[in-house]
Amino acid sequence: MTKLIYLGCLSRENFKSTCENAIKIIKFFDNEYKIIENPPCCGSLAYHISSDDELKKHIQYINDWFKANDVTELVTICAGCYNYFSRYYQDYLGTDFNVKIRHLLQFLADPKNLRKLDLSYPGKKLNVNYHDACHLRNAVKPIIEEPRTILNAIKNVIFNEMDFNKTNSICCGAGGGVYSIFKENSDFSAKAIFDNMKKSKLLLTACPFCYTALKRIKEENNIEKPIIKFEDFIINLMEGVDPLS
Amino acid sequence: MSDKGKGIYEEVKSKVNKLKEEGGLEREYWDFWKLGCLIKTKVHDSRTIYYDTSREFVERYNEQLIAIREEVVENLDYYVERCINVMRKANNFKVYYAKTNEEAQNIFMDELGDNKVIYKSKSNEVKDIGITDILEKKNITIKETDLGDILVQLFDYKLPSWQIGPGAHFSIDDIVARIKEVHGVEPEPTPNSIVDYYRRTYRKELLNDVKVSLTSANAISAEEGTIVLGENEGNISLLTRATDKHIVVCGIQKIVPTILDAVLVAKIQSRINNVPFNYISLISGPSSTSDIRGINVLGMYGAKEVVVILVDDWRIKALKEDLIYKDYLKCIGCRSCNFVCTAARAFGNIFASKYGWGATAILTDYIHNGIEAITKDGLFFCTNCENCYHWCPVSINLGEILKSIKKEATKAGLCPPPLRDYQQKILKEKNPFK
Ligand code: SF4
Ligand code: SF4
Repeated sequence: MTKLIYLGCLSRENFKSTCENAIKIIKFFDNEYKIIENPPCCGSLAYHISSDDELKKHIQYINDWFKANDVTELVTICAGCYNYFSRYYQDYLGTDFNVKIRHLLQFLADPKNLRKLDLSYPGKKLNVNYHDACHLRNAVKPIIEEPRTILNAIKNVIFNEMDFNKTNSICCGAGGGVYSIFKENSDFSAKAIFDNMKKSKLLLTACPFCYTALKRIKEENNIEKPIIKFEDFIINLMEGVDPLS
Repeated sequence: MSDKGKGIYEEVKSKVNKLKEEGGLEREYWDFWKLGCLIKTKVHDSRTIYYDTSREFVERYNEQLIAIREEVVENLDYYVERCINVMRKANNFKVYYAKTNEEAQNIFMDELGDNKVIYKSKSNEVKDIGITDILEKKNITIKETDLGDILVQLFDYKLPSWQIGPGAHFSIDDIVARIKEVHGVEPEPTPNSIVDYYRRTYRKELLNDVKVSLTSANAISAEEGTIVLGENEGNISLLTRATDKHIVVCGIQKIVPTILDAVLVAKIQSRINNVPFNYISLISGPSSTSDIRGINVLGMYGAKEVVVILVDDWRIKALKEDLIYKDYLKCIGCRSCNFVCTAARAFGNIFASKYGWGATAILTDYIHNGIEAITKDGLFFCTNCENCYHWCPVSINLGEILKSIKKEATKAGLCPPPLRDYQQKILKEKNPFK
């Protein structure tokens, strides 16, 4: 029985320190979770353009890999992986798919883990916004309340809703593989997400695709407020570091 | 790698670059609508006009509306037949059932007869059915009557626009300058004086000179055979009364079971867009009187004749063959999916087709003109964010429909090469970055 930490290709490729942070967090709660080297891609970018046959074959391959490694449950830090695992794998494989899928946000929001987390912001108070990624809010089992539960449980952190939130959040423009072909899709929308922040000091995201787009837009527009990945934020607080520093 | 896919990708990329050109027509539209979209989306949750927000209103009637649309779509043949019978027998309408757009166009031209001018209201359906194309081809003068469309004609604006407010992106100063250039008159640069100019000059013509008018319908009730038309300007009221012949052209999917259902559709179209329907016309026959010895005579003050052309074209086929856009039959044409759409915000009217702006317009292009047409319209701009689905009053998932079409485009070798490369690496190497 393997409990797998499935980081996702984009994070493994571009966000190595975030991956390390995620591993630390997950293992803090349950040391049985582990990494397996070179996991195959869940197929995220291919779903929009591949035929049923191609997808079936791919999904079967991944499921065989899970079986070969005796994976029974996994936690992922990628919003895309979570969305596709929960949406398509069951569809294509039915009862042959027996892996319990969780996103890190669900894992953290588990009452038992939340109690153990017992975090506080080291400063006086910190106003934060959270961006609802499409991959999470649209998933078969949507992840909408979990980040709110986690943030509301952190002492000295004041969680503020954005005007466009939950299922009405502004899409960053990077989904569906569009970032690889028309980056411009993020130019207006990702900026609009920052414009929506008002009094909050930082913007949190739990999606590496959103992060990629938001980071670029922040830099190109000299936006001062930081965009921080959820796992980096949590590890900072766990280690008593001010995420703004 | 298909050269065609590469070619179309480059073509679309060059359209994207047009958005960056200061002063370009595409840029002008985009500058207006990218902000307009956010404002309009925000208004869904504002309580400025009514006690409830438009979101609350739509959510209240959501299930009812979906049930109405599903009932009709699943039993389309039955409702079409029932509706036509009532329209003919009880309402004195002249009704045609056109199997194809071409047939509808021919019927329409026959009904137009020797008239060389047609006065029309705003209508997406009329474009969809190709009536505008045939009128232009036959050199018939099209006189628009909705102010937004009048402005589009005034500017000879050929790019796609938002179907509900097609002239909203023109600046007041530009409108005044253009009126001066074309009509030799210079109204004050205020909305009031521009409206007053058209009221003074055009209203008289609409009251006295209209022989044949053209509208679509917001909905048609099968039980009563009643055409429901909503508007805020009053142009439709004039066009449907102060005319000899009123021709209604629309797709059969506009039919709903009862008149109350039809009014609900109109009400939702109005509330979801936060545009008032100051007038809702329920038209159940030509104007008539029986005041002279009880003998019924048509055409007292209103239209002498009402002709209804109901068009099938792609609709029954989509239903019977369970085509990927079958769900689109439920659409009530509110066009509110435009301003919640990520691609529409990001790419303005280059995410568009000759049928208008946004996902519904490019889907219509696909239905009529196929996979290459929609790929050029910006199919691959869609992020599958499903904002359209979350906001659609009948829960049509345009994102999912476009995803299925992307798969078809990929099979036809039309996928943008960089995305195709990622896909190949994933499927073959099991790693997109290898
Ligand atoms: S798809 Fe839905 S939101 Fe878009 S126009 Fe049709 S009914 Fe309205
Ligand atoms: S899924 Fe596609 S069509 Fe729908 S709102 Fe998002 S970008 Fe627009």
